[in-house]
Amino acid sequence: MPTNVISTESLTKYYGKVVGVEGLNMEVQQGELFGFLGPNGAGKTTTIRLVMGMLKPNRGRASVLGLDAWRQSVEVKRLVGYLPGEPAFYPRMTGEEMVRFVASFDGNGEDSGRELAGRLELDIGRRIEGYSRGMKQKLAIVLALMKRPPLLIMDEPTNGLDPITQHVLYEILRELREGGTTLLFSSHNLPEVERLADRVGIIRQGHLVGTERIEDLRNMRLRNVEVIYADEPPDRLDKLAGVIDFERAGNRVQLKFKGDLNVLLAELTRNELLDLSIGHASLEDVFLEFYNLEGDEQQ
Amino acid sequence: MIRSLAAKTLRERWRMAAIFVGVIVAYTLLVVAIYPSIGKVKTDYAKNIPKAFAKFFGVSSFNLTTFNNYVTLQFLSLMWVILVAAFVIAMARRMVAGELKEGTLEFLLSQPVQRWKLLSVQAALLLATIVGFVLVTVGSIVAFAAAFNVGSTYGGYVVFILPACALFIAIAGYSILFSAMFRDPGRAAMAAAGLTLVFYLMNFAASYWKSVEFMGWFSIFKYYQPLDFIQKASLPVRDVLVPCALGLVSFAAALWVFQRRDVAP
Repeated sequence: MPTNVISTESLTKYYGKVVGVEGLNMEVQQGELFGFLGPNGAGKTTTIRLVMGMLKPNRGRASVLGLDAWRQSVEVKRLVGYLPGEPAFYPRMTGEEMVRFVASFDGNGEDSGRELAGRLELDIGRRIEGYSRGMKQKLAIVLALMKRPPLLIMDEPTNGLDPITQHVLYEILRELREGGTTLLFSSHNLPEVERLADRVGIIRQGHLVGTERIEDLRNMRLRNVEVIYADEPPDRLDKLAGVIDFERAGNRVQLKFKGDLNVLLAELTRNELLDLSIGHASLEDVFLEFYNLEGDEQQ
Repeated sequence: MIRSLAAKTLRERWRMAAIFVGVIVAYTLLVVAIYPSIGKVKTDYAKNIPKAFAKFFGVSSFNLTTFNNYVTLQFLSLMWVILVAAFVIAMARRMVAGELKEGTLEFLLSQPVQRWKLLSVQAALLLATIVGFVLVTVGSIVAFAAAFNVGSTYGGYVVFILPACALFIAIAGYSILFSAMFRDPGRAAMAAAGLTLVFYLMNFAASYWKSVEFMGWFSIFKYYQPLDFIQKASLPVRDVLVPCALGLVSFAAALWVFQRRDVAP
């Protein structure tokens, strides 16, 4: 029976009259990598800050490892490594001093911090005022991971990182997962979520649309298809079973398809083709299709 | 943990505090050094100044016949208060509103540290800085007066230390409260500076117009009478307790607000 490391019940936060998140019910189980996906302003960061006890909920509650996120936030922070969305540090301190400072709260993590800085190729001897955006992100990652906490909460972890460092971070996170670490991370980067997460939750306009296992979503095999015909497209293509979101502009056809590709190809090639491309639909498209929702992301 | 928080705060503040100490010492030197020259024209100069003007400066008259009168008038009654209050307000605004705006508060509170402890450590350091500034000021006045051979008795300056600290403890208390209340450090500083100015004007009005004399009791400057402290050289218990109580109550309110407020830039 999986244990919930994070659970929220009707979690609600308003900023004045603006909805941050509303009625959010979510569970993250022990040892899983849970991706929190949604466009900017959807409520990902608000949820993370509520779980971290930075914001006080208007309604509902969040619990982390059995502790109330707001009332027992100090105990929660002993067990959680947190990477904020926009890390900020004291510019006159060096990276090394920051590592020592964070280690001093409970006397551990200093060596691990140095090792992580080495793996991420971060020069911690320099003052932070001379760091680039990417270097600050690396330092924030070091500080979040250095105590090897049982739970990691990361808001847009690869923000500002170059592709090589992103790869190193993925590797580190996989290692931590093997050691039993649970990860909740937010992202608007779909490939990142697909690559890392076991389960994904989509949040839109402050509401959790739903959560699914990545594997289940992939198995739906939703595909984006684009065809250019030499002349007219075949009749009744839009009526073919499994065709979704059919759009035609002259001799160009775009559609989403769920089902046996052979059936689709047989139908598409009834007329002469000039061009054809078939790709996997994005995770979000799959997700929205699964929940039968509009794909717009208007805020 | 407390040691690390204190070290971090000191690392951030020591430069500004050191510059400030330098300014206080230099200004004290300037004020004391020109006293022998001022002293020669002091009586004529004093006669021509309106009484209301003297009251605005927190003294009953521009009597410059003694060094203590002169130092109070030229320095301790207003200019020094403005300098130290500005420093206190600047430091207090950083404590919550400043760190919140810069995003460092989110980082600090992602560590296992209680909010009240975080604010208390910073407030304790500000208190130590205030005491340091007052001691440096008094030490400089006494040292330069002795060097220029212009002073006579210095016992009153020792008495002055406590009510002077109390004044800035009051200012620090409500400045921290505003810092905990506002998201914008500029607004927090404006509110603290504004309230300090209101207190000053209330005290001036109370000393000038009999009909509003009662207002003086509600101003922290009623309890800051530097010339009295220095001349009488007896500990003014009320003038220490009232501003300290205001500072403590304001700080308790700041803790209450900070414990409950959202922390996100």
